[in-house]
Amino acid sequence: MSISEADVRHVAMLARLALSDEQITRLQGELNSILGNIEKMQELDLEGVEPTSHSIPLRNATRPDVVRPGLSRDLALLNAPQAENGAFVIPRIVGAEEGA
Amino acid sequence: MSQKTDLAGLSARAIREGIAGKRFSAGDVVEATYAHIDVHEPGIHAFNELTPDLARAAAAHIDAKVAAGEELPPLAGVPAALKDNMNLVGTHTTCSSRILSDFKSPYDCTAVRRLLDAGALPIGKCNMDEFAFGSSTENSAFGVTHNPWDLSRVPGGSSGGSAAAVAARMVTVSLGSDTGGSIRQPGALTGTVAMKPTYGRVSRYGIVAFASSLDQIGPFSRSVEDAALVLNAISGHDDTDATSVREPVPDFTATLGDGVKGLRVGLVRDMLDLEGCAAEVREATEMSVRTLESLGAQVGEIDLPMSQHGLAAYYIIGPAEASSNLARFDGIRYGHRVSDPSDVVDLYMRSRAEGFGPETIRRIMLGTYALSAGYYDAYYGTAQKTRTLITREFDAAFEQFDVLVTPTSPTVAFKIGEKAEDPLSMYLSDVFTIPLNLAGLPGVSIPCAKSESTGLPIGVQIIGKHFDEATMLRVAAALEGALDLDMRPPAA
Amino acid sequence: MAKDRLAGVLERYEAVIGLEIHTELTSLNSKMFCGCPVAFGGEPNTRVCPVCLGMPGALPVPNEAAVEATVLAGLALDCEIAPFSQFHRKQYFYPDMPKDYQISQYDLPFCGLGHLDIEVDGEGAKQRVDLDGGPYATRIGVTRIHLEEDTGKMVHVGGSEGRIAGADHSLVDFNRAGTPLMELVSEPDIRTPEEARRFAQKLRLIMLNLGVSDCSMEEGSMRVDGNVSIRLRGETELGTKTEIKNMNSFKALHDALAFEIVRQADVLDEGGRIVQETRHWDVTAKRTSALRSKEEAHDYRYFPEPDMVPFEFSAGWIDAIRARLPELPDARRERFMRDFGLSSADARTLSEDVEFAAFFEEAVALAGTPLAKPIANWMLGDFSAYLNAGTVALSDAKVTPAMLAELVQVIDAGTISGKQAKQVFTEMAETGDAPGAIIEIRGMKQVSDTGAIEAAVERVIIANPDEVASYRAGKTTLIGWFVGQVMREMRGQGNPSLVNEILVKKLG
Repeated sequence: MSISEADVRHVAMLARLALSDEQITRLQGELNSILGNIEKMQELDLEGVEPTSHSIPLRNATRPDVVRPGLSRDLALLNAPQAENGAFVIPRIVGAEEGA
Repeated sequence: MSQKTDLAGLSARAIREGIAGKRFSAGDVVEATYAHIDVHEPGIHAFNELTPDLARAAAAHIDAKVAAGEELPPLAGVPAALKDNMNLVGTHTTCSSRILSDFKSPYDCTAVRRLLDAGALPIGKCNMDEFAFGSSTENSAFGVTHNPWDLSRVPGGSSGGSAAAVAARMVTVSLGSDTGGSIRQPGALTGTVAMKPTYGRVSRYGIVAFASSLDQIGPFSRSVEDAALVLNAISGHDDTDATSVREPVPDFTATLGDGVKGLRVGLVRDMLDLEGCAAEVREATEMSVRTLESLGAQVGEIDLPMSQHGLAAYYIIGPAEASSNLARFDGIRYGHRVSDPSDVVDLYMRSRAEGFGPETIRRIMLGTYALSAGYYDAYYGTAQKTRTLITREFDAAFEQFDVLVTPTSPTVAFKIGEKAEDPLSMYLSDVFTIPLNLAGLPGVSIPCAKSESTGLPIGVQIIGKHFDEATMLRVAAALEGALDLDMRPPAA
Repeated sequence: MAKDRLAGVLERYEAVIGLEIHTELTSLNSKMFCGCPVAFGGEPNTRVCPVCLGMPGALPVPNEAAVEATVLAGLALDCEIAPFSQFHRKQYFYPDMPKDYQISQYDLPFCGLGHLDIEVDGEGAKQRVDLDGGPYATRIGVTRIHLEEDTGKMVHVGGSEGRIAGADHSLVDFNRAGTPLMELVSEPDIRTPEEARRFAQKLRLIMLNLGVSDCSMEEGSMRVDGNVSIRLRGETELGTKTEIKNMNSFKALHDALAFEIVRQADVLDEGGRIVQETRHWDVTAKRTSALRSKEEAHDYRYFPEPDMVPFEFSAGWIDAIRARLPELPDARRERFMRDFGLSSADARTLSEDVEFAAFFEEAVALAGTPLAKPIANWMLGDFSAYLNAGTVALSDAKVTPAMLAELVQVIDAGTISGKQAKQVFTEMAETGDAPGAIIEIRGMKQVSDTGAIEAAVERVIIANPDEVASYRAGKTTLIGWFVGQVMREMRGQGNPSLVNEILVKKLG
C-alpha cells in the first residue's frame, strides 16, 4: 500500500493539522517508509487469531455510582485561552450546524 | 566538599535513616539537592522546571514528624524528580511540548501523589521527548538533555531527563513512563536501574497518555532496592483508572536478598543475533547470564521469533492510540491557541500545527491513517492480532523460565543529532523493550557493564512474568550485587 | 398543510421510518465516566472535573449503575444481552466534546435485537391506509441499545435566536458533558408518523417505569431523531433516507415526520431525487430544512477504547438484573383487567404511570377488590380532572389512597349519595380532611329512615294538591319534580331511591 499526497492531505484534515506543502511532501515519504517496514507483519498467518486490545485479562472494570468532588470553576478555567462568564470562548463555527 | 554534596549519592534507605537518626534533616537534603543541581544542571538540562517551594514544604513536613517523634514514611526525605507528563498541582505539566508550555496542573497524578505521600520530596519536572515520542529526548520543545556520561551524547528517551537526573545524582529517584521502552532504554544509556512494572500495576491516572494500552509508570534509581521501594509506594489499585488491577501488592524489598539459586533464567538468543545489536552489548548480556549461572541459576536459551514483529505492531498501535489521545489538544480548554482564528476549524488546525513538534505530527498522521476508513483491518486489526501472538509466545516461554534476559538497548548512548533525521533507525532503539509493552510484562534494566571503547554504560533487561516483579527484582538484585559496578558518571 | 396531505400521499407511498432515541440516565447520581453529579442547568462549568473536561492525563471509569440501567432497559425490551461488549471511541473534532472523541459503543453494544409492541387507535390508526382504519397493534423491532456520554452545551452569541449561523462566537459549558446517555436504535419497522409517536411515547413510559430517566423532551433528557424514506406501494427496494433532528416533543416528532414524508413525495412526484442528508425540524415554520453538510465525509475512526477493558456478563449477573425488572405497563394492564375486571382502556390509563398505578392498587387493597371499579372511576374521573385542572402532581395531592378507599366505601354503604360524594371529594382534595370528618361536619349523612321520609312525603303531597292531581291523571313524569321537593324538604339528605320508592307508593 502506498500513500498518495491526497491521502496525506485527507489524513491531515482528519487530524486537524494545518500542514505546509513541504510538510505534506516530507510526511508522504516518511509515512511510506515507515509503513513499508511494517509490511512484514502483514505476512503473518493471523487466521483465527483474536485481537488483543489489552494485555491483561481484566473485565467489567467499573466504579460505583457515587458523586465525588470535581474542580472549582476557577481551576476548570485555569488554563483556558479565553473565557467569558464562566464559559470557554470559541470563535464562530462554520461548515456544520448543531453538532455532528 | 561539604557534607551537603555527599548527601547526593545516598540511597533512599540511607536518607530516611539519616533523617530519622537526626544526622541531617530533610531540609538539609533539599538544600544539598538544589546545590548539586546548580552545579550539574547547566551542562545536562535534565529539568524543565524546579519546584523548590514544593520540596521545602514537603521537607518541613518530614522534619516536623521527626521533631514530633513520629514514624517516618518509607521514602521520607528522598529527593525525587518527575517526568514532565505527570500532573502535580503547583507545577506546569508541559510534556516538553509547545502546545502545553503554559499548562498548569489542576490536579494530581495518582502515582505522584502516592510517591509524595510516602515522603518523597518533589524536586522538579524532567525533560522528555515531546509527549514521550522518541528515544533520545531530542524531540523536546525545550532543548535536548545531555547524557551525564558524555555530554555530547543523548541520555536516551523518552524519559531522558528523569534518567539523567538520577544518573547525575541530582535526585535519588525519579519517575518515568514507558510505552515502548521509554524508561528502560534511557536507564541503559545512563547506567541507572530503570523499571517498567506489569501493565495495570501502577495507576495511569494523571499521566498524559501516549498509548493507553501500553503506557506504564515506573522508577529510575541507582539501586534495585530503591526501585523496589518506589514500586512499593506507587503500586496498587486505583479506582480512577479502569485498567488498574486489584492484584495484591507484596513488599518488593522483602525478597531482594533471596538469591537466584534454582531460578530458571532464559537468555533470548535470537534477539542477541539481531542485526544492529552491538557486539559489546551482546557480550555484556551473555556475561550477565553467565554471572547468574555462577550464582546458582539454571540457565537456558530460547528464541522469541514473534517478538521481531513487535516493532511493526507497536508502530501501528502506539501512533493509533496516540493520535486519538492527542485530539484533545485543540486550543479550547487549555494549551496553545493561535491568536487570530477565523473560525473553529482554523483554530484547531493552526493551533495544533504550531503547537506540536515534527515527531508528534508524524505519529499523529501515522496513527490517524492507520485507523482511517479502509485501513483499520490492514493495520490496526493486524497489529492487535500480532500482539496476541507475541503475548502467547511469552506465555509459552514463561512455562520454561522464571525470568527472561535480553539486552535493553542494541547500542550504548549515541551522539546528539546522530539519528535525529532518521526516524526508522531511532525506532530501532526500542526493539528489545517494545515486546514487553505489547504483552504487558514487567521489565527492569540494570547496568551490567561499561563499554571498553567508550566507557559508556550497557544495560541488561530482565523480564518477569505478569505481576511477578518480585522475582524479576530478586534476579536484578543478585546480578547487581555480583557485578558491583561503580556507576558514577563523570558529570555527577 | 402537510398533515392534510399526508393521507393522500400515504395512499400512494409507503413510509419507512426508523428512530434513534437518546435517553439521558438522569436518575443516576454521577456522570458516565466520572464522579461529577448528574443534573440539569446550573451555572456554566460548575459540575466538571479533569475527566469530563478532557484534561491531559484524566481517565474515564464506567459508572456501574449506568451499565446496569442499560442492560435493564434491554431486558425490558426483550433484547439479547451481549455476552461480550466493549466501549469504542468515535472520533471527530467538535467544541462541545472535550476529548474530541466520544466514548460510545460500536460493533459490540450491551444490548442487541429486541422489540416493542405498540397499539394505535383513534384518528392516527387511519394513517395505515393498508389496514381497515380501526385500532391495531404492531411490533417494532429494536436493533440495539448502547451506552455513551453526552456532550457539553454551547451558547451562540451574536447571531439570531442562538443559532450557529451568523453567530460571532460561542460559549462552551461542560456541565452536561459526560452525562450517561443511552441510545436505542429501532428497526425501520415504523410505517406512519403516528406509529413513530406511539413508539416514542411507549418507550418513554417504560423508561419512567424502570426509573432510569425523567425522559423530559423539553429539557433534552429524551431526544428523538428519525430516519425516513418513502417508496411506492408495492415496491420492495428502500428509498433514499433523510435524518430528521430537533424534534423536541411528541407532536413535533409526528408533525416533522409527516412533513418530511409529504416533502419527499413532492420531490419524487416532480421527478426529483431525494438527497441523503440531515434535516432540521423548525417548529415555528413547521418545516424541515437541510443542515449545511460538512465538507468531508464522516470518518469516525472507531477503535476499542484503550482506557477501558471489555465487559463479559455472566448468565447469573444478567439474571440478577432481570430480577430487578419492575412490572411494566403492559403486564400491569393485563393484571388490572384480569384481577379487577377493568376495561382495556381504563386499565391502560391506570397502568401507564407507576405512581398512579401504585395509588390505585393501594386504594383497592384498603377498600377491597369488589370496589376496584368505582375506585378506578374516581381516579380516571374527578381525581384526574382535579390533578389536571390544577396541574398538581400526584405526589403533591392531599388525597391519599386511604381517603379514596374510605370515600368509595361510604358511598357503597349508602351513607352518602353520589352527589354528596362529589362534594366530599372536592372538599377532601382541597383540605386533606378524611371523608368521615367532612360528612360529620357537614351533616351530610343520608337519611334512610323510612318514617322520616314518609313524613316528608306526606308534607309535600298536602302542600301540592294540583300537582298530585295531575300526576294521578297520568302525568307521571312529575315524579322527578316530587323527588326534588322531598329532597329539599329533607335538606338533601334523603336516600334518593327510598324517596322515589315511597313517593310512588303514596301517589299511586
